[in-house]
Amino acid sequence: MNAFFSGASLRRLRVMTHKELLQLFRDVALMVFFLYAFTGDIYIAASGVSMQLKNAAIATLDGDHSLASRELASRFQPPYFQAAGSAGTPQQAIRHLDDGDVMAVLDIPPRFGERLARGEQVAVQLQVDTSNSVLGFLASSYGAQIVGRYGLEVAALREGLGSGGISGPVIQADTRIWYNPNQNDAWFMGISELLTVITLFAILLPAAAMVREKERGTIEQLMVTPLSAFQILFPKVIAMTLVILAGTAIALFGVLGPGFDLPMRGSLVLFFLITALYVFTTAGLGLLAATVARNLAQVGMLTVVILMPMLLLSGAWTPIEAMPEWMRILAWISPLHYFLDAAYGILLKGTGMDLLWDSVLAMGLLGVVVFGAGMGRFGRQFG
Amino acid sequence: MKLQRIIALAWKEWREIVRDRLFFSLAFIVPTMLMLLFGFGLTLDVENLPFAVVDHDRSAASRDYTYRFISSRYFDFKGQASDERQLDTLLADNRIRLALVIPPRFGERLARGEAAPVQVLIDGTFPMRAQTTQGYVAAINSAVSLDNMARALSAGRGVPLVEAQARVQPVKLEVRYLYNQSVKSIWSLAPKLIMLIMMLSPPFLTALGVVREKESGSIFNIYSSTVSPGEFLIGKLAPYVAISFTNGLILWALAVGLYGTPFKGDPAFFALALLLYVVCTTGLGLVISMLVQTQVAAMIVASIVSIIPAVLYSGMLLPLSSLAPGASAIAHALPPMYFTNIVVGSFLKGVGWQALWADMLVLAAYATCLFGLGYLLFSKRPAS
Repeated sequence: MNAFFSGASLRRLRVMTHKELLQLFRDVALMVFFLYAFTGDIYIAASGVSMQLKNAAIATLDGDHSLASRELASRFQPPYFQAAGSAGTPQQAIRHLDDGDVMAVLDIPPRFGERLARGEQVAVQLQVDTSNSVLGFLASSYGAQIVGRYGLEVAALREGLGSGGISGPVIQADTRIWYNPNQNDAWFMGISELLTVITLFAILLPAAAMVREKERGTIEQLMVTPLSAFQILFPKVIAMTLVILAGTAIALFGVLGPGFDLPMRGSLVLFFLITALYVFTTAGLGLLAATVARNLAQVGMLTVVILMPMLLLSGAWTPIEAMPEWMRILAWISPLHYFLDAAYGILLKGTGMDLLWDSVLAMGLLGVVVFGAGMGRFGRQFG
Repeated sequence: MKLQRIIALAWKEWREIVRDRLFFSLAFIVPTMLMLLFGFGLTLDVENLPFAVVDHDRSAASRDYTYRFISSRYFDFKGQASDERQLDTLLADNRIRLALVIPPRFGERLARGEAAPVQVLIDGTFPMRAQTTQGYVAAINSAVSLDNMARALSAGRGVPLVEAQARVQPVKLEVRYLYNQSVKSIWSLAPKLIMLIMMLSPPFLTALGVVREKESGSIFNIYSSTVSPGEFLIGKLAPYVAISFTNGLILWALAVGLYGTPFKGDPAFFALALLLYVVCTTGLGLVISMLVQTQVAAMIVASIVSIIPAVLYSGMLLPLSSLAPGASAIAHALPPMYFTNIVVGSFLKGVGWQALWADMLVLAAYATCLFGLGYLLFSKRPAS
């Protein structure tokens, strides 16, 4: 290791990195998909995906046909709901729900208006399709807000608690949504997709490059050269990191910035530095998998084993607060968990190193451990 | 096309898979592991949201109000913050996702029968979570408001509290949750996980299996033999279809046995649909393997074509109705969306052929097209 920083050593690293890059660029199908992943795929995810309830079709089963029932039904409006007409009979309503034509049915009982006018308490029913539980929850929550508001207005009028509007000892919440005030899904989905693609390539490319050498036997050629294990492994990571950083830059400045007005509030230099650290850490995981696997087919399956839990349990697609305790502990050893905090922090919240240092430190430590383990295993296999 | 050759090829492929112990075990371990991991860990519920409160009022009313949030299982109280500046840092550092600011004279206003303003700050980086949070906060606020109104009415008019409660809430909403009465997300998730996992693993297995022959050169044995392209494709893929179909049945058993998801549909119908779907996803792997030369490329293409659409565009996490045209086109162009209709229909709704025949037809057409395409792309006399 004492010759580590000598000229010859640096030249070896450079030459090996050059070799890795050449090998990568010559796989045309791979490069085409690489470009697609960092442009088209991110564009589609950012523009096409929304986790919010928008224009959910709602049918009305109006057993009353009074002024009051029509008034209540007419309050289910866009942006959350979209009136899908009258359902006719309860059987028809159920069929509409079965076929997925409507998401909810508002069932107003006979004599609704009359009983309301007499000061009775009347129950209306909302049937919600909860095959998708998130949407089901949102639909019933908005429904409850609409009906609650209507009820309060009726009560206010009836009890003379104020004319028209509502007054009284109520809570007036002024809700502010920070960092993404318009709830633009493109920002969240775009970044999430970018991090997914980065993770995918950061694990797969180095692992595959390593095992390919093993499978073809070219690793034996490298072993007889004066190159150390580090000098064989590290250039692979440098080459992949360079390529992935280039892809990230294309995605940020070519797709997310101009296409979706992603704010990028924090320091971009810091963002790219942390991305490089993340790719290094994750590549370590890939290399570790490569030392276990004998052929590419095995690497492929091992990658799925590493990649899918990382993506799904780190909070890239779902909120992690509600996960069971032991799962949250698993998330701590996932570098993606820290990278998510850092990426959303820098791009959307404008946070700097003063708040992110703990995430960066954890990621760096993980990287050193994983990379060290991979190098150790590699050294024992071929040393 | 000779059956004997197909069997011989399938047997050879089977032996090759079985001999690679790690690969063979991973082929079965991966789907089961993913099912367990996602089933327990992947939840779309928004719970235990960390939150903090800045209470400028410090009255009994403001403490009561705060307590409503503390006692809710949706929120996880992280403590009082001294001022709004501290909230900035806490929100930016992901330590809290929600903050309440109760202004001075909160209790006084309520006591005088006036509306009391409260400020709610929500971390909006994850819009789905932010919206759900907003829903919870609105529900608590409206419950508090109704209570206050009822108490004011009861004190002012001298009516009993119970009657006052009914009078301030003339319309009551009863929500009935259909198909999944308890809105437990595991019930809606487990069937869709079968779809997801069966989209992930077969294309990977297949693409790797076929490209392996290409990359190692053993495919030249096939080129020079009397085996016809059709026989090769069927024989080659049969073991992968069999492995994946078995996996699908294991996942079905896990969904019903472990997660207790009710299965209301017709098992024979579902098995047929599962087989068709597995043939589709295996065929997807086949087409990928025809288009690329190296296993690295096969893996990348398989993961981009399978993972991302299966998670994002299949109706698993996201409503299909809210997809924009581009994403919607991808959703319609790939099999997961149709199979999602079938699993949800079979598990939760208990509908069969009558409601789902169109989806079955699409899957069948899809399988045929993929194999046709694979057949066309496979040439025993490659150009180079």
